[in-house]
Amino acid sequence: MINKIITKAQKAVANASDLKDLDDTRVIYLGKKGELTALLKGLGKLSKEERPVMGEAINAAKLEIQKLIEKRKSELEEIALEKRILEEKIDVTLPGRDVDKGGLHPITQTLINIENIFTKGGFEVELGPEIEDDFHNFSALNIPEHHPARAMHDTFYFSDNAVLRTHTSPVQIRTLERQNPPVRIIAPGRVYRCDSDVTHTPMFHQVEGLIVDKVATFAQLKGVLIDFLRAYFEKDDLQVRFRPSYFPFTEPSAEADIECVICGGEGCRVCKKTGWLEVLGCGVVHPNVLKAVEIDPEEFSGLAFGMGVERLAMLRYGVNDLRLFFENDIRFLNQF
Amino acid sequence: MNISTRWLREWVDPKVSDTELSEKLTMTGLEVERVAPVAPPFEGLVVGIVMSCIKHPNADKLSLCEVDIGDDSNLQIICGAPNVRKGLKVVVAKVGSVLPNNLKIKKAKLRGVESRGMICSEAEMGLSDCHDSIMELDASAVLGENVRTCLDLDDNIIELDLTPNRGDCFSVLGIAREVCANYDLSLFLKNYEAKQQGNKSFKAKVSNPKACPKYLTRVIEGIDNKAVTPKWMAQRLQRASQQLHSPVVDITNYVLLELGQPMHAFDLKKINGSIDVRMAKNGEKLELLNEQTVSLNKNTLVIADQKSAIAIAGVMGGMKTGTQADSTEVLLESAFFESIAVSGVARSYGLHTESSIRFERGVDFNITHQAMERATELVLDICGGKASAINESIDSSTLPKLETILITREKISSVLGFDLDPSWIESKFKLLGFNITKKNNNSWAIIPPSFRFDIRIPADLIEELARLYGYDKVPVQRLSVDANISQASQSKVGFYDISQVLVNRGYQEVITYSFISNEYHDLIDPDAKKIELKNPISDDMSIMRSSLWPGLLQTVEMNQRRGHQNARFFEAGLCFGGISVDEQRQKIAGIVCGERFESQWGSPEREVDFFDAKSDVESLLNLSGNDYLFEAAEHSALQVGQTAKISRNGQFVGWIGALSPHLQKKLSLPKLFLFELNQSDIEQRKVSSYQSFSSFQASKRDIALVISKDINADQLVHEIRSLNQEHLIEVNLFDVYEGENIEKGKKSVALNLTYQSIEATLTDDQLIQQVEDIITHLESKFSAKLR
Repeated sequence: MINKIITKAQKAVANASDLKDLDDTRVIYLGKKGELTALLKGLGKLSKEERPVMGEAINAAKLEIQKLIEKRKSELEEIALEKRILEEKIDVTLPGRDVDKGGLHPITQTLINIENIFTKGGFEVELGPEIEDDFHNFSALNIPEHHPARAMHDTFYFSDNAVLRTHTSPVQIRTLERQNPPVRIIAPGRVYRCDSDVTHTPMFHQVEGLIVDKVATFAQLKGVLIDFLRAYFEKDDLQVRFRPSYFPFTEPSAEADIECVICGGEGCRVCKKTGWLEVLGCGVVHPNVLKAVEIDPEEFSGLAFGMGVERLAMLRYGVNDLRLFFENDIRFLNQF
Repeated sequence: MNISTRWLREWVDPKVSDTELSEKLTMTGLEVERVAPVAPPFEGLVVGIVMSCIKHPNADKLSLCEVDIGDDSNLQIICGAPNVRKGLKVVVAKVGSVLPNNLKIKKAKLRGVESRGMICSEAEMGLSDCHDSIMELDASAVLGENVRTCLDLDDNIIELDLTPNRGDCFSVLGIAREVCANYDLSLFLKNYEAKQQGNKSFKAKVSNPKACPKYLTRVIEGIDNKAVTPKWMAQRLQRASQQLHSPVVDITNYVLLELGQPMHAFDLKKINGSIDVRMAKNGEKLELLNEQTVSLNKNTLVIADQKSAIAIAGVMGGMKTGTQADSTEVLLESAFFESIAVSGVARSYGLHTESSIRFERGVDFNITHQAMERATELVLDICGGKASAINESIDSSTLPKLETILITREKISSVLGFDLDPSWIESKFKLLGFNITKKNNNSWAIIPPSFRFDIRIPADLIEELARLYGYDKVPVQRLSVDANISQASQSKVGFYDISQVLVNRGYQEVITYSFISNEYHDLIDPDAKKIELKNPISDDMSIMRSSLWPGLLQTVEMNQRRGHQNARFFEAGLCFGGISVDEQRQKIAGIVCGERFESQWGSPEREVDFFDAKSDVESLLNLSGNDYLFEAAEHSALQVGQTAKISRNGQFVGWIGALSPHLQKKLSLPKLFLFELNQSDIEQRKVSSYQSFSSFQASKRDIALVISKDINADQLVHEIRSLNQEHLIEVNLFDVYEGENIEKGKKSVALNLTYQSIEATLTDDQLIQQVEDIITHLESKFSAKLR
């Protein structure tokens, strides 16, 4: 009798196709009105000897059926899960939503890069005004009136004493006016020259550097700039050469060339077949500049350098037309 | 400056190639831009003479020539040039010779007649573009001679880009001195002295000896200015990019290039009386050699005769007194004008001459006499004539003083960072022409030569040593780093933080010019002070921007024209409210238009609105952790009713709003939103300070009110806050509704109030009372009705 019930239950459980079906089966066999419960209720009619034996058998059967149901239940749950997983399958290659694509201008990226390199070397970043007076832009930098270097600057004027700064060098003066040596700064920013053609824009960017200390030598200047250029171009063996040059505010003055990063020094259109690219100007600060800000040139020495940011950006990113930087065509800007 | 290396090597001849020499000059301070051969390579071209020339039997335009090239038999050559004729000396490319571009000359038959070679044009030799006629050689050319020798073609031109401090190198002599210093050589020095046969005196006085310490003149009579400038001189002048004039002018140009002394030749007959070197009178007129008539001002030094100015000193001579082909008496001038007196003068008249370039940078005041003798010698050689004695006006008290400079070894190594050998130092100073006196083992007294105006202080001397030593050989040292802990402060929001917020929200940074058009200024920010450039590149770039919006609007307009409708740009930069430092303020501004997001799947498309732009601005403001107030306001560039002024503690911070529809129409732009903030007002970050929080549960109550449409959300919240309810910790406006079931002109606003006490859980009664207070207050303040 009991075995018959178990066999029947086994079949029913195995046939249960979903969790509800299984639950119905549970009620039929184990529920209050179920077959085994009915048998239990009939125990009273049995003899004293038969009762425990029968009771034990019924309970065992109950347990066995319960086990069967549990087992089937987890099987069915697993099946249901598999089904859900199948149903929830998505195309993971669809683009994510609400993505905004912005970016920094390549000149800003270049400036940040330059600033990061120098600030790691203990340089502070200083800024200055773009409308400058004659003193800061020229005379304090040892460029007196009628100096031939003034003619080379193509200055934009507002009045005799107000100009758009032609270089970031006035920040040297402003910094030394408010800060005592030792000084170690860079000054990035916009500068202006009254010149506009294929290779000149009336506005461009420079980064100025200044070191003033008790000891500051030309040999150290070479060290700083070689380290910087190698860091900027991420090339440990980048060839750098220094040539004598002239700036009114430095003496000795030099220009630094790097091996052409386009042709590797073989000679190409960009380096005009020389294998070298001029990238910055530098020198030992002229004593007159220190005197202009009341620093004793016998006690302190200065090193200064200046570089064109557009040129460095063009070389780094392979941009071949300066004017692209200020057209702000999104197809250009998006590439950086 | 361009100069022939053959000319240079006449003064000093180092045993290196022209290329090596140029490299050396570049690396020691005279930048050589280019070394260009005067002629491309070719071989086998010789001098020939046309013995006979008849018409080709089968061609109208060809000639059949017999050409003698100095050997046994004449060559039969066919030539198509119109200028070929009997007796002409020509360049003959024999069979087997190689022209530029590797063109080999072969025996050929032209219209049935054999031609054994070619008569060359300048173009065929790569000398010029002239290809419609053959080159005509001098009658003195030697038959059979190699053309490269005959025309002196094995020469290079070096193009120097001289720095303004090296005025002394604007001559063959000056460059030769540099070569000497580089290669430890000495100059092939020349002494010039012209024969004196005349005795005509001429009076020249100098009224302004400060500006003109030396003024030398000399009369040469009986010259033939129709003579031809000799070939060697013409060639050197041409190779130095000089145009040829009459022989006397060519000679003065030649001396200028050779010795660096600008000279002038007056036609003596056209000078009225004597000469006075004086300052010009205001408004005095002078027609210059370039046919330009200038009105002089009193700061200009001039050469004048008894009637009027006849030259601007050190810049350019006058037309009237210039030499002509028929001039027979010339007055040569060789002077020393102070650079201060000449500086800026040429430019003020829009001039830039070989003479002014040199005087502005400084001319050797000890070469004046030499140059006069050299020029005289050349005039006598080429044009004949009789030279009189030199008339000198010299004021030695106004000549530049050669000051002694003291220099020590210690100073040299403290600037350069390494030690130089004292004997090397001495030898180089001597090679540079410096007068050197040894004070002791470690110091020297130095007097620079009269041509080195750039040597004034020890630093100048140190540069001389460094450049001759070779910058590349200077050792490389590292800076010693002080452990200088910099002030990276948490209370400051950096530009990088600010820009990164915008970048992450889809903004592309742009950089636009800081100068804008007058029109844009008037449209966008008409109340701002107009800072106008005196010499703008163009009218479009003539006013300094007071706002970043014009640049952003132009950027959007340009990109839309190129098919990019959605835009989100920002720029940071100085804006100009005036020219003082304080009036130049850093601003940051953005522009946004088009779709909120580029069209994408699974999300409805919609246009950006005010609140998208506002959330971008709020993200920026949140960086600082401070509270900012947005108030409805009006701005001339923005749409009324969609404009807010942003402030903090009553201090103006910036603007946000929709571009005004009028401007939209005028500028053909779509609906767009703009914002602009003063960067300094968002840079101060509030450093967090911990507040303990309650462990008791917070209670939330929602209320919905109907109020007039005109009442701003901020006003409502502000009023609730003004009650200063102790336990009210948050007021959140979560819904605004207008339309069905709401009276016209009104809106329904739903607020969520959060109460919490630090001491206990609040009871229902307490809450009800407090919410009730708020409603009562809003009812009386705004006639609000509970919904």
